[in-house]
Amino acid sequence: MSNQFEYPEDREKRNAAKIKALETLLIQKGIITSNSVDTVLNHFETKKGPFNGAKIVARAWMDAEFKKRLVKDTAKAIAELDDLPEGMTGAESEHVKAVANGDGVHNLIVCTLCSCYPWSVLGLPPYWYKDPTFRSRAAREPRAVLREFGLNVSQEIEIKVWDSSAQIRWFVIPERPEGAENMTEAQLVELVTPESMMGVALPKIA
Amino acid sequence: MLTNYEQFAVTSMMGGTDTPPRLNGTLCFEHEWERSAFGIALDLAKQGFFEWEDFRQELIAEIKQWESEHPLQDPSWDYYQLWLNALESTLIKAEVINSDELNRLALY
Repeated sequence: MSNQFEYPEDREKRNAAKIKALETLLIQKGIITSNSVDTVLNHFETKKGPFNGAKIVARAWMDAEFKKRLVKDTAKAIAELDDLPEGMTGAESEHVKAVANGDGVHNLIVCTLCSCYPWSVLGLPPYWYKDPTFRSRAAREPRAVLREFGLNVSQEIEIKVWDSSAQIRWFVIPERPEGAENMTEAQLVELVTPESMMGVALPKIA
Repeated sequence: MLTNYEQFAVTSMMGGTDTPPRLNGTLCFEHEWERSAFGIALDLAKQGFFEWEDFRQELIAEIKQWESEHPLQDPSWDYYQLWLNALESTLIKAEVINSDELNRLALY
């Protein structure tokens, strides 16, 4: 048990040295390799995460025909993209389905179980997402809930709430923000946040 | 439905007291050692050296103990410090390392 009253800087240095020593020990014992550790971290950092969703949405902003295909058959459209990591197509993305904001509709996604969250495109769910209050209120009074998120959706716009399940995991294609007309696809990717793909925020130009 | 071990393991923590810090859909590490500590624990469980659930229970117990000894909002809260403590006790219980090896690590 560590002494909690030490200076945090010392604690950081000591923990860093300790983990390094543990890693070395486990490698010497033939239990782990630096590769095996990287593999599990890569899952979250490069394979499945909101960076995938951002690429998909940016492409939809660049290419209206792609956006149509994305809404119609999400898995098939995602499979068209060649710069997504391996594993984005196939079994997992078959359950992912996109809904597009625009034409008088704003979409909001909720889910009861975190296992139903579309991790491959949105990454890890935020803390509040699993809160039963959020889910039930989002279904009952989505406009009020969105207002609490700082998002005022005008009365003329219909709010559709999509409940993810094991069969269908929804994500939102937000609208391309004003002022982003001349941006490159790579710049657009940077604008797409997980919140905007959940429908609790809009993409903003920094 | 879930076939991926990494995903299964982290999903099991969502909504629990042991839920890991995250930001914008990704895991959030303040220091490189935290990232390594996360990766080592998950790698070992994935390989079957211990059950992920056993590690979780150690972590939950560490968190509970910390909370009983500190006021809420105590700024010295450090999730990955407790993670490291839990990893050490799990490694001993699962006999991945012995107490001599652990004592040598404690010199750091």
